[in-house]
Amino acid sequence: MNKLFYPKLAINNIKKNSKMYIPYILTCIGTIMMFYNMYFLVLAKDIGSLSEKESLRTLLFLGTVVTGIFSVIFLFYTNSFLIKNRKKEFGLFNILGMEKKHVASIMFFETLFISILSILTGILAGILFSKLMILFLFRIINFEVTFGFEIPIKAVCYTLLLFVGIFTLNLGYNIFQVYISKPVELLKGSNIGEKEPKTKWILTIIGTICLGSGYYIALTTESPIAAINIFFVAVVLVMIGTYCLFTAGSVAVLKVLRNNKKYYYKSKHFISVSGMIYRMKQNAVGLSNICILSTAVIIMISTTISMYIGMEDVLRTRYPRNIIVEDTDISDEQAVQLDNIIEKQTSMLDVNIMNVSRYRSISIAAMQNDDSNFISAESSSYISKNMSMLLFVTIDEYNKMENKNLSLSSDEALLYVASGDIPSNIISFNNFKLSIKERLDSLYSEKRNLVALTNSYFVVVDSIETINKIYDELMIEDGDMGELSYYYGFDVNADKDVQIHLVSSLQNAINNSGINAYAEGAESSRSTFLSIYGGLFFLGLFLGFLFIMATVLIIYYKQIAEGYDDKERFEIMQKVGMSHGEIKKSIQSQILTVFFMPLVAAVIHLAFAFKVITKLLLLLNLSNIPLFAICAVITIFVFTIFYAIVYALTARTYYKIVS
Amino acid sequence: MPLLEVNNLRKIYTTRFGGNPVQALSNVSFSIEKGEYIAIMGESGSGKTTLLNILAALDKPTGGEILLNGNNISLINEKEISAFRRDNLGFVFQDFNLLDTFSIQDNIFLPLVLAGKSFDEMNDKLKHIAKKLEISDILLKFPYEISGGQKQRTAIARALITNPQLILADEPTGALDSRATEGLLKIFSEINDEGQTILMVTHSTKAASHAKRVLFIRDGEVFHQIYKGTNSNEEMYQKISDTLTMIATGGGRNE
Repeated sequence: MNKLFYPKLAINNIKKNSKMYIPYILTCIGTIMMFYNMYFLVLAKDIGSLSEKESLRTLLFLGTVVTGIFSVIFLFYTNSFLIKNRKKEFGLFNILGMEKKHVASIMFFETLFISILSILTGILAGILFSKLMILFLFRIINFEVTFGFEIPIKAVCYTLLLFVGIFTLNLGYNIFQVYISKPVELLKGSNIGEKEPKTKWILTIIGTICLGSGYYIALTTESPIAAINIFFVAVVLVMIGTYCLFTAGSVAVLKVLRNNKKYYYKSKHFISVSGMIYRMKQNAVGLSNICILSTAVIIMISTTISMYIGMEDVLRTRYPRNIIVEDTDISDEQAVQLDNIIEKQTSMLDVNIMNVSRYRSISIAAMQNDDSNFISAESSSYISKNMSMLLFVTIDEYNKMENKNLSLSSDEALLYVASGDIPSNIISFNNFKLSIKERLDSLYSEKRNLVALTNSYFVVVDSIETINKIYDELMIEDGDMGELSYYYGFDVNADKDVQIHLVSSLQNAINNSGINAYAEGAESSRSTFLSIYGGLFFLGLFLGFLFIMATVLIIYYKQIAEGYDDKERFEIMQKVGMSHGEIKKSIQSQILTVFFMPLVAAVIHLAFAFKVITKLLLLLNLSNIPLFAICAVITIFVFTIFYAIVYALTARTYYKIVS
Repeated sequence: MPLLEVNNLRKIYTTRFGGNPVQALSNVSFSIEKGEYIAIMGESGSGKTTLLNILAALDKPTGGEILLNGNNISLINEKEISAFRRDNLGFVFQDFNLLDTFSIQDNIFLPLVLAGKSFDEMNDKLKHIAKKLEISDILLKFPYEISGGQKQRTAIARALITNPQLILADEPTGALDSRATEGLLKIFSEINDEGQTILMVTHSTKAASHAKRVLFIRDGEVFHQIYKGTNSNEEMYQKISDTLTMIATGGGRNE
């Protein structure tokens, strides 16, 4: 036999199945390109020149790992779909006299050609696009790009290694599939197993419970710190719920509909309901995958975009004043010394200080166990929604900072509620009680964000001694309260460079004086924030794009599979007396339902997750909920349009197969 | 007036890339009276299936006309053709053509549901027909759970449930074993005795021998026909097989 027989046959097979293989190869190329690009960014020299290179590199590396894992799962899944549809062909080879090892060698050549083609093209495209990628990333994080072009050998090698590995894995799986099956079964291939799906009530109930409790957790989590831990649990529960309900729940609902004779025996519902039962059986897993991927895409893109856009807010939340000098444990003398340093440094740079906010205070974490009673907080209780931050200030300090002239007796307090609620007029700290003399409805200095994470209260008392007593009540371990902390924030009327310079000269002066305080400025942190938030934004877009690619491919293959299944049904219905138009309408409504169900489910998931996501964003200092809502809506809108376009394009392939 | 009249029917298939046109039917004329039971026989490629497809309005003739109750079915427009098919014709196919997503009962209901009938009305009709065809026990099963004979009886039930003017059967015994074939032919004879007009296309001499009239098609033309008259099934069988032998050996007209 001609040596070239198998390679030729392999090429012919790929050509013959081009309807399936072209999208597969394109996806392989796309995935390879994206993996290379991500890894390229991790290694790129240009990134090394950034001030925040470490955090950005970590972020990008994380992206590389996700892309890699995703590639393995996704290409394996696609391959298994392809091979399922080609079983008949291999059965035919078998019957024509080829042994299984011959079929295996055909498969080997097929995989060889596909992998060479896609790896070469993928890496080449990756190299071509790498400059564009880095330009894009730098544009996002507002950084100048250097000229030049580099091809990190390491990135090329690892990309090669990963994808040769994936293709080998797929080949192994395919050969295994051929070896374990009998020719007759191969001939029947995908046609077997057309049994009516059973109603799996238990799975439906499990799915409902999982989804319900996932939603419940997402809706009832109040504390952002608790949200970190619980978000993951909720995600897993919702994922399980999605899989169960798509597989079992949908069939259960359809069967209930079918048992309703009045509803079922209407020409509009008759064909759709029975058809959907089978469709759901075959597509449930694929659809839940689409649903979860879509949810991930929407959440990822909308959060990263809103963080990127809302970065100014974040900076303002994090730095209520342009420049902040702070020390958590500082004596009165040192505080005065700090004031002097600030005054000297600012006058040296000839800038005016404005909007000064400075006070000495102490923060104590406590549990608000009922309305107005605070008890000591144990470290494990940090995730509780009753966790509260109490900021204590003396009346003298208060008068000074607010420019007032109030007085308090030792059992009285002024209260400002930044977030939370203390309904009663007596606050108690374990056994120590204070009566609220006045509730303050605003606090000039209090723009500093205590708000976000926990309940926070600003309590003004008469003296340090009172604070000391409260401290003793609320602290579990014995120990001295130590000194108060000192916060000094101010705005300046100077440009960006001066501000950055001021912060560094302040820090130097502070260090030289032997005080532990540190100086920070919004402008100095901007580049850090930009590289992290911009990096996240980039990652969100990148992975979002990858997931969308996956979604597109799954939809495409589902449509093709549906098409081949429906072809026969289509013919029968026509013979029994359905017009072409009626059949088309019925099938279209089924397919529309099937393909837009995941999207609808994804939007519902997002709606329930909305609250918990805003809590998580609070942790990242983003408190602008409307911004996130707008970003989410826009993302959903764009994604839906994209989804619809993909659907319309693949539907054309479908109709070509059917008619 | 005959129930069905076929006059000078012609069908020419032209291949897409300008290949030679294939003449499937060259000149077919015959007519069917109400209550007749007709078998059309012919070798592979003689044009049987083309004829049936045109009668079923699934395909358009190149020339000639088909009158059902005096109406030319070639003139019915595309929108009404499906409803026409549903109301006037019943189909029985060699490979049954049951939808595997429907239970037996739902398969039989299909044409009625499409016609917008209520469940109670459908159910009454079904009970009667299911009893006659002995499929009452399997109504809730699915096509993959029953035998070929049962599938074919289901297909007959689906064809009968609309009370069609004419039943068109395409090789109805083709996929059945001898016992199931026997049963099916018995059912056809019975429903014909009740007044149902049947047109059956078949290869099987045995199946054809049950018909009251047999038409032979060769090279796209009606070549010959035999009336059963008072003959028994066995005598009819003999006559048909003689005719087939004669056609196969290329003899002249048997007149």
